[in-house]
Amino acid sequence: MTLEDQIVRITSRLVVPFIQVYGIYIILHGHLSPGGGFSGGAIFGSSLVLVALSFNLEVGAKQISHDTSSILESGGALGFILTGLVAVVLGGNFLSNQAAGFPMGEAGELFSAGAIFIITTFLGIKVASTIITLFYNIIEEEDKSGASH
Amino acid sequence: MEDILFIIIAAVFAMRYLLRLQARGVFTIMLIGLIGFFFSFTVAEMPPFGDPNNPVFNEIPARYMESGVADTGAVNIVSSVIIDYRAFDTLGEATVLFVAIAAVIATLKSH
Repeated sequence: MTLEDQIVRITSRLVVPFIQVYGIYIILHGHLSPGGGFSGGAIFGSSLVLVALSFNLEVGAKQISHDTSSILESGGALGFILTGLVAVVLGGNFLSNQAAGFPMGEAGELFSAGAIFIITTFLGIKVASTIITLFYNIIEEEDKSGASH
Repeated sequence: MEDILFIIIAAVFAMRYLLRLQARGVFTIMLIGLIGFFFSFTVAEMPPFGDPNNPVFNEIPARYMESGVADTGAVNIVSSVIIDYRAFDTLGEATVLFVAIAAVIATLKSH
């Protein structure tokens, strides 16, 4: 699966860093502005899908290997649950925030809102790697069976 | 209400004449028309959008908007609802994503 188009390659090479920075911005500012883990993760994951589509699958797989993607995907879900369990250890209910004594900070600052910041980051990692893993699994199966081209 | 039902039945018989449908096709169209009738009836009974007297504006969104920042520390009310007040629901959503990708891998990598 290759796409021999110079315009698409140069454009995506220019645009991909900005998409990734925007995705990280959306994830980290989930508690301050519209967005959050789901939408920011989708933006970040689609930037790596764009790399794989505009170059080829080998270049895309060089950005993030399949094993790394799988580990990040499971790790994001585990981190979510572990953050909830940390709240139990600290003496609150499962997934509680202020009652468990997470550092709340000043409302409106970047590092504030305790568990919300941590959970949003884990959710972003999980959603981004889910999109990447899903894309590669489907596209490689297409390539193997010869359905594309 | 009787008028609308009568129009639907008349339309079904007109379609049967025009399209020369079999009895099964007539039954399908009648069933679809009945479902569409109940759907549009439900939508017509819904309260108007944005009306302050709507039943959804009870004490729960008032609590979220008044003490959301003090409870969770997040300026974004949506974020404080989905990740603090209803975090268990979001955990279920993340699990749905996980199960979806597990199902894709199990289906595609099995043969």
